[in-house]
Amino acid sequence: MNHSNSKYISNFKSWAEQKRFLNFTDEDAEFLKKLHPFAIEYADTFVEKLYDHLLKFPDTKRFLGDEKMLMRLKLAQKAYFMDLTSGEYGEEYFKSRIKVGITHQRIGLPPRVYMSTYCYYMQLIIPQIYGNPTFDFETANGIFLALHKIINLDQELAISAYIHATDEVISRQTEEILEMSTPVIQIWEGVVAAPIIGMLDSSRTQQFMERLLETIVATNSPVALIDITGVPQIDTATAQHLIDTINAVKLLGSQVIITGVRPVIAQTLVHLGIDLSGIITRPTMASGLKVALDTLSIKVVDTSKA
Amino acid sequence: MATEETGEHPIKSEGDIVTCRKLIRTAAVAAGFGMTDVTRIVTAVSELARNVYVHSGSDGVMRWEILYQSGKVGIQLEFEDYGKGIPDVDQAMEVGFTTAGTMGMGLSGVKRLMDEMNIKSEIGVGTTITIEKWGRAK
Amino acid sequence: MDENSLSVIKLKNILLVTVPDDPGDDIIHELQTKVLHAIEKYQSKGLILDISSVNILDSFFARTISETTQMVALMGGQTVIAGMQPSVAITATELGLHLGKAISTLNVDRALDIFTDNFKLV
Repeated sequence: MNHSNSKYISNFKSWAEQKRFLNFTDEDAEFLKKLHPFAIEYADTFVEKLYDHLLKFPDTKRFLGDEKMLMRLKLAQKAYFMDLTSGEYGEEYFKSRIKVGITHQRIGLPPRVYMSTYCYYMQLIIPQIYGNPTFDFETANGIFLALHKIINLDQELAISAYIHATDEVISRQTEEILEMSTPVIQIWEGVVAAPIIGMLDSSRTQQFMERLLETIVATNSPVALIDITGVPQIDTATAQHLIDTINAVKLLGSQVIITGVRPVIAQTLVHLGIDLSGIITRPTMASGLKVALDTLSIKVVDTSKA
Repeated sequence: MATEETGEHPIKSEGDIVTCRKLIRTAAVAAGFGMTDVTRIVTAVSELARNVYVHSGSDGVMRWEILYQSGKVGIQLEFEDYGKGIPDVDQAMEVGFTTAGTMGMGLSGVKRLMDEMNIKSEIGVGTTITIEKWGRAK
Repeated sequence: MDENSLSVIKLKNILLVTVPDDPGDDIIHELQTKVLHAIEKYQSKGLILDISSVNILDSFFARTISETTQMVALMGGQTVIAGMQPSVAITATELGLHLGKAISTLNVDRALDIFTDNFKLV
């Protein structure tokens, strides 16, 4: 899962493009490197200050966990500070940023906390840049701008990870809803039934067709009932999808019976000039089932009357 | 990475049709396409590779690339030949049009299997057919 | 059996032909010739084409099946296609393929049932 995640959020190629867009140059990397000695010297103090601040607020405190967890986070944060000023912003850097983004999303850290932590981060570092006697004003400006650019790049990756995760939830739910709305069930030995509720569009039909055919093969069923009682209206495209499905089922060696053809659907089919004459259709699922059982030479007897 | 996400293969002999199919099947399965989409893609490859081998009257090449975009996985394929070219691309795309007596679904059938299809052809210079298919990433 | 070769088995009055998963053009050509010769040799009345392993059916293969079915009919036999995979059936429908006069069945067992019940051949 995580493996594929990192693949889709953003690829290294597009990130490199983003770097060019932000005008992040080798010069910027050099500026950030100038901050490295400072990072080595002050990393511990800096990290302590940052976490002291985060611990003051219940909103952020609850993400920091117990002592052990806190230690791990502090170490990770220190490593980030080192990375940030390492002067190396290639694929390794990119990968570790993606990983952080995914972790934040997984533990449910809200983007607002993530963003404001960065802001506090800057509040701690900027005075140190401008207050550092070894940097002249121009160098300090250069470092500040470079830092601003790299943090923007980092944030972009993290936010993409959040958005990607949400997209994934939505598409999974959409898929689940689609599946629930067209169940395919075996109702007798040799007979499967699929009641369709709602309109059949192209992507829904493709999924439905796959599940219907797989169930027919898995249950070894020579007859499939497709019930369209729950289809409000039928248009040329929907009818074409139905005909495709029927033809694919035929290729497998099974037969489709369309049931639940209501008057309004029958009228539309004829008016649209759609020819379903080669296909068995029945007004109700019950009458369709009777045809199916006849096809299979199965006789159902009412024992109370026998 | 075990499977290449991009590559190319020449189409010079009948055997290359099967090799192209096998290459793309491996790449599409590794990229995470579902079973039906894999079959659609491989079938389109078979049709277009045969199109190059049988009809173009020249050698050709297949190129492919796996693409990822916002939770979706895609594959882009390009079939290029240096053959006689297609005189009327629009006509060639019509349902039922065929010059080779296959079954008359030709290029229009391939288009139905794919999300995108583009044909560039010049008489006496050659033809390039590009197709694209997108699926839900797993 | 070589995974890339055809197997042709005589079962009483019918022929059972098993096609490999990704048949090349050479194998498809061979299919037609082998089948027709075997029908002549054994005077078979039916042909079961087991395609349950086949994971690709393109227009060339479909045309060969359709033609072979016609040729087998001319020689007095009925063709049954057994075990097409769902993904292959969906793709074939979308591509617009037809298998001519061949009958489809879910698997070889059901194909044998057809020959027993309808043609009294097995």
